[in-house]
Amino acid sequence: MINVTELTKTYGKNQVLKGITTHVRQGEVVALIGPSGSGKSTFLRCLNLLEKPTSGIITIDDIELTSKHTDIGAVRQRIGMVFQHFHLFPHMTVMDNITFAPRKVKGLSAEAAKERALALLERVGLSDKADSYPSRLSGGQKQRVAIARSLAMEPDIMLFDEPTSALDPEMVKEVLAVIQGLASSGMTMLIVTHEMKFAREAADTIYFMDDGKLVEQTPPEQFFANPQSERARRFLEQVL
Amino acid sequence: MRRKTWLRFIYLSLIVLVSAVTLPGLLFGGNAGGHSPSIAEASSPAPIIGEKGTIVMGTSPDYPPYENVDAKNNGEIIGMDIDIAKFIAAQLGYTLEIEAMDFNGLIAALQTKRVDFVMSAMSVTEERKQNVDFSSTYYVARNTIVSRASEPVETAEELAGKIVGTQLGSTQDLFAETLEGVELKKLNRIPDLIQELKAGRVNAVIVEDAVAVEMAAANPDLTVSYLPAGSAEDGYAIAFPKGSELVASFNEVLEEMKADGQIETITDKWFQESEAGSDSTINFGVLKGYVPYMLKGVYVTLLFTLVSALFGFVWGTILSLFKISGIKPLEWFATAYTSVFRGTPLLLQLFLIYFATPQLTGYNISPLLAAGLAFGLNSAAYLSETIRGGIMAVDKGQREAAMALGVPYWTMMFRIILPQAVKTILPALVNECVALLKESSLVSVIGVMDIMRRANVVQATEFRALEALLFAGLIYYVLVLILTSFARLLERRLRRSD
Repeated sequence: MINVTELTKTYGKNQVLKGITTHVRQGEVVALIGPSGSGKSTFLRCLNLLEKPTSGIITIDDIELTSKHTDIGAVRQRIGMVFQHFHLFPHMTVMDNITFAPRKVKGLSAEAAKERALALLERVGLSDKADSYPSRLSGGQKQRVAIARSLAMEPDIMLFDEPTSALDPEMVKEVLAVIQGLASSGMTMLIVTHEMKFAREAADTIYFMDDGKLVEQTPPEQFFANPQSERARRFLEQVL
Repeated sequence: MRRKTWLRFIYLSLIVLVSAVTLPGLLFGGNAGGHSPSIAEASSPAPIIGEKGTIVMGTSPDYPPYENVDAKNNGEIIGMDIDIAKFIAAQLGYTLEIEAMDFNGLIAALQTKRVDFVMSAMSVTEERKQNVDFSSTYYVARNTIVSRASEPVETAEELAGKIVGTQLGSTQDLFAETLEGVELKKLNRIPDLIQELKAGRVNAVIVEDAVAVEMAAANPDLTVSYLPAGSAEDGYAIAFPKGSELVASFNEVLEEMKADGQIETITDKWFQESEAGSDSTINFGVLKGYVPYMLKGVYVTLLFTLVSALFGFVWGTILSLFKISGIKPLEWFATAYTSVFRGTPLLLQLFLIYFATPQLTGYNISPLLAAGLAFGLNSAAYLSETIRGGIMAVDKGQREAAMALGVPYWTMMFRIILPQAVKTILPALVNECVALLKESSLVSVIGVMDIMRRANVVQATEFRALEALLFAGLIYYVLVLILTSFARLLERRLRRSD
């Protein structure tokens, strides 16, 4: 579904991605792990062009994202993204946060968008918060709303950029539960995370990145039991 | 695709600009084409009023008893000049239409044929004769000294070594120039002269007899001394565009009026002494009857503030978007624009727009529109920086979240980023509105009938300086209080998401 070929990204003299080539299948759940500064987030952000790749090719199905002629707005509608700091729209209620893009971008009617939003809120367990403003929610609730907001666009792919890193420990669980539920529903997902337990349980494939390179891509059982590279072994020693 | 959105955006901002320029014109009824071209070339006299259509007279209605605004009643322009003009127009078979303007704009109005003739206690001078034609004189005013009753100055000789006030450019000003050993202080308006005299900053003022009598009547602490009558050359006459065919017929009627005593009847009617005024420095009793007239200025001031604030906000927003657009020519334009409009006085911009627009474009811009435009353009320069700051202060993640959802750039700008920016900068926006409301008093210099201008009219009519100003100050203060409490309500509404 997603094909990445020789993707590089350079900031000034600093090469953050040093040629990444990979393929993500439809329905595959990928957990990206690795030391900080290894390029995980940058790689993820390249996939919906929040970062513009310096070179390389990204295709989603048969659409080449890196081509100049691609309507990036249309592609982004197919790719949901959840951020570490939620980035809910603070001046809108939870309901408006979720219905905004479906209405303004997809042209859904207010009723249809609202119906969809209510279903999603139920799915993330926040039906009673529809009329609240984000400032009234806890971190975990905000992140669940952010997930519902992304899902409202009915994306084919979901990107999670450290979705639990800004949360108090007791709230991590509720968010991971939602993501896990999503994974088992067959959504194609890429998740940058430091939650090793979660990565092991939820992911089909672990991408281990180090120094701008994709060092390993293996199933979690194999990765956590017997990492192939020396660098991954040392990383696991530090975090486990 | 970016290029296309930009084109669309520029196109949109043009529409906004154009409507911002033309909409107030519709609202304010900018008199685009000048008056109706119905002045007939008079030939034979025919005494049916209006038979020959309308004739337009220009006057500066701030000089009672010759011409002033009847502020106590319906705001009509009345006075001795008006009565004479009406009489002549009726004799010649015209309907009289009066156009009020600043005294300094009268000659220009004749030259551009915006008016057919001017009656505004205008004395005949050589300079004026080069630009306009004059009728015979219809009234000769006497130069008169007004001084404090406690330190009276009675003859021209006694003026030596003293400080003497005159109205800039008046006949008396020219006369005072010929006096030896006198220090002159020239002011723009009669009420200013009264105030300077009462405050002791000048020893005496020289004005014409009709004005002097009214000054002394309204202020019993002042006294009047007549100077010897000058020659008839110095009298007041009606001014016409060079070569106007009206001069001869007007002169004919004037001669008849002088012969049958009609002129005297009219002057006597207007030069009666009015009732004695109060001795005290401040007597709000003089405002009696003027309050509704002054309060009508509230509407003008508010309308003006609203239009210039809205225009300033819309244009300021567009400029701020230019500044962050990343497109070099737009950035340069917005920066240069801000630099120029912040770097020059607002009053100067106002004058330039009001006076230069008709000359450069031929469009006779109305004072209110010119003022709205000048204030809006100026305010936009300041606001563009404020709004830019507000946009920069919005978390970068907001933009990314919107982009990730596939929200187009302008939808994101207007629905996600700007609402949050405006909330942050609301206190600064309120400040700007308050400033606009108060600075709007500047527009009175180009004749917009706002609160300040109306206060000036009352000053001129009553020959009292302080009361109208204090009342105007009170009105402004109350308006600002109301505005700020509205702003507080708005802020509370915007903060409900916190």
